[in-house]
Amino acid sequence: MSNADNLLTAAAIRKHYRMGRSVVPVLTSCDLSVRRGEFLMIMGRSGSGKSTLLHLLGALDTPDSGRISLTAGPQSPEVSVFPATERERNEMRRRWFGFVFQFYHLLPELSVLENVLMTRMVGTSISGWFGGRGAIRRDAIALLEQIGLGARLKHRPAELSGGERQRVAFARALVHKPLLLLADEPTGNLDAESGAKIMALLHDLHRSGQTIVMVTHDMQLTKSADRMLVLENGALQT
Amino acid sequence: MYKLFLTLRYLFARRIAYFAIAAVMLCTAMIVIVNSVMGGFLDKIKAKARGLLGDIVVNNNSARGFPLYGEFITDISKWPEIEAAAPVIFSYGLLSFQDTAILNTVQVNGIDLEKTYRINAFKQSLFYEKYYPGSTTLGVQQQPKLGFDPERSPVSSDSPGEMWVTLPADLLDLLAKSRAAGIEDRETVDSGVNVALRKAGLPTLPGLFEVNIEGATDDPSSDDGSVGRAGYFGDPREGIIIGRDLVAFREKDGRYRRYMQRGRMTILTLLPISDGGSVDAPIKVPLRYADDSRTGIYEIDSKTIYCDFALLQRLLLMDEGERADDSGKIPARCSQIQIKIKPGVDANKLAERLEQHYRSYLEKDLPDVREFERNLLSGIRVQTWEESQAAYIAPVEKERILVTILFAIISLVAAVLVMCILYMIVLQKTRDIGIVKSLGGSSAGVAAIFVGYGAAIGVVGAAIGGTLGYLFVIYINEIQAWLIHINPAWQVWDRSVYSFDEIPNTVRTSDFAIIVVCGILLAIFGSLAAAWRAARMQPVEALRYE
Ligand SMILES: Nc1ncnc2c1ncn2[C@@H]1O[C@H](COP(=O)(O)OP(=O)(O)O)[C@@H](O)[C@H]1O
Ligand SMILES: [Mg+2]
Repeated sequence: MSNADNLLTAAAIRKHYRMGRSVVPVLTSCDLSVRRGEFLMIMGRSGSGKSTLLHLLGALDTPDSGRISLTAGPQSPEVSVFPATERERNEMRRRWFGFVFQFYHLLPELSVLENVLMTRMVGTSISGWFGGRGAIRRDAIALLEQIGLGARLKHRPAELSGGERQRVAFARALVHKPLLLLADEPTGNLDAESGAKIMALLHDLHRSGQTIVMVTHDMQLTKSADRMLVLENGALQT
Repeated sequence: MYKLFLTLRYLFARRIAYFAIAAVMLCTAMIVIVNSVMGGFLDKIKAKARGLLGDIVVNNNSARGFPLYGEFITDISKWPEIEAAAPVIFSYGLLSFQDTAILNTVQVNGIDLEKTYRINAFKQSLFYEKYYPGSTTLGVQQQPKLGFDPERSPVSSDSPGEMWVTLPADLLDLLAKSRAAGIEDRETVDSGVNVALRKAGLPTLPGLFEVNIEGATDDPSSDDGSVGRAGYFGDPREGIIIGRDLVAFREKDGRYRRYMQRGRMTILTLLPISDGGSVDAPIKVPLRYADDSRTGIYEIDSKTIYCDFALLQRLLLMDEGERADDSGKIPARCSQIQIKIKPGVDANKLAERLEQHYRSYLEKDLPDVREFERNLLSGIRVQTWEESQAAYIAPVEKERILVTILFAIISLVAAVLVMCILYMIVLQKTRDIGIVKSLGGSSAGVAAIFVGYGAAIGVVGAAIGGTLGYLFVIYINEIQAWLIHINPAWQVWDRSVYSFDEIPNTVRTSDFAIIVVCGILLAIFGSLAAAWRAARMQPVEALRYE
């Protein structure tokens, strides 16, 4: 397999947390590559450091040491995700990554549509926004309709069920067409039926070519993945 | 874009922001009001002080006055910058009204009425001169009295006789002039005569006059024979103008109620100061109350009378005289020279030149200027009206600055409130901040949301507060009237106490702009701590948990 097939590569990632005077090592040495278009599942017990790893991959947090790099397309140059300046990492999150969290994390004051649009607003200047607002809105509404929330555009997150909220979160993570969707236990807080719907959505996305990294502690879910890694004792095993 | 969007969203979604807006609003309104009222107060005082003095004044800080004023005025009258100049004498005395127990210590100003009219706003302060233009004089005069009106038929006995009273014909002619000019007396409570005239639907006679009750026999139809003809009566005497508050009470509504009739005889007791500096035997002069003056400054209107310059100079022995040893003349003296300058002339520079000119008399070896006169001349100071009134105006100016600063300090409370509220919102919004950062928002961007939030609170608060304060100041007198209407005890601005009829109600545009901008800056300042906190927040912390 050629290196060009790898979208994201992480090597020798170390991360520890400091709690008072004691040091909690979470990731001791993680190596990982995400292939373009694959649905990669990372399994691990609760507290094994899955979320931590996902945040590091998505430039939301920085490791103590190691290297993470991304190659946007077969012809594109390799770009360093870590080390990188904060500015660069902000820019990467804006353009390349989409996050979905276990607890949805929608902005409560904003409507469903506004929550989705927020992703685009972050990347747009005021003038750019008023210039391209129509197109941006159409994209967002189309996406929400596609995932079955066309009728709830004006609703507040509090008026939605858990499954619906998570779908809004997916729309938010996808509206800017990220290279990599990072899902942190997206079904962890849902009942079985809603969870199944979310998994079906992930499959649809995968089929349409979206690269996905999802972490979970649920063995059941890992069947549907292209590939599965296990996070244990601060390192990844196949 | 998200910064603007979230700023506005949070502003309207979080009700607690209204408290911050209210705090900024109240502080802005408060300072606008305080600053405007104090500033207006100061402006009025300045305008009045200037109106009383003229542009430039010459003093020497001695109760004995200074000589050579005549030469000086003659000299400077040729200067192109000078409009007019007049000498004034200040003294002290006792004023009593004949046949009353009233006795006041007064400051006596000797003025040349005609010249004073040209130099400052004294004429506008006079009462009778306003309604009977040209009738006020400091010269020899008698007392005008009301009498019956032979043109009008007498009325039935149940109405008071005042109904058909009238003034001497010359005063009526003058009154007709002022009436034609639309001048009407609203500053005085109606006298008994005027109440009756008004009831009968007849034009009122401004002021208070005695009724002629002697020689009533001229009127054959007047059965009770109590009223005679209108005219001038009594011994001819020189006139004085009396400070309004010495002859009238001021009501709560600001109107005056006169208790002295025009032309009444007064006795002025003067204490001339000898050349040796001691007080000579007191001099008593009978003078007639010709008019009353209201400058608007209570300290002046309750203490000052004005008589003819030449008369006072003579009485105080400040006029030209022979030396005891017949060796020459003693030059006449005055206490002050008031000068009006042409528009556009730099008063400060001119004052300096005038002082030099006065001092140049010391170098000219004038025969009548001896040791005594030289001493008086060496104390000459020529000042602009502002300088000469500095002792009076400066405290008010300082007070205004002080009060504004005090209120500004109080306004820091608003900044702290904004700070607390925004900080609280940041803590509550920790997760939202994490979300925005996970979407690619930068720390600076997140900080900008909260600075923008503070700015929005500031803009909205300062705009509303500024508008409210502005309206409050503009309508302050109406508000006061309304408060009194609800409960008379709520009269804040007591017109019987304050010099001005109305609470100052002008807003200085520059001060207003500064205050509003400061209000906005205050809120932004209050938001900095929250913004700092939001910027430093690590997104992952917030996102890990529900
Ligand atoms: N901010 C932190 N400070 C200290 N310890 C932390 C912090 N965040 C996470 N941890 C610890 O790191 C470990 C990994 O956490 P996490 O990545 O959330 O695991 P997972 O997502 O697999 O449950 C856990 O033991 C957790 O207690
Ligand atoms: Mg986790």
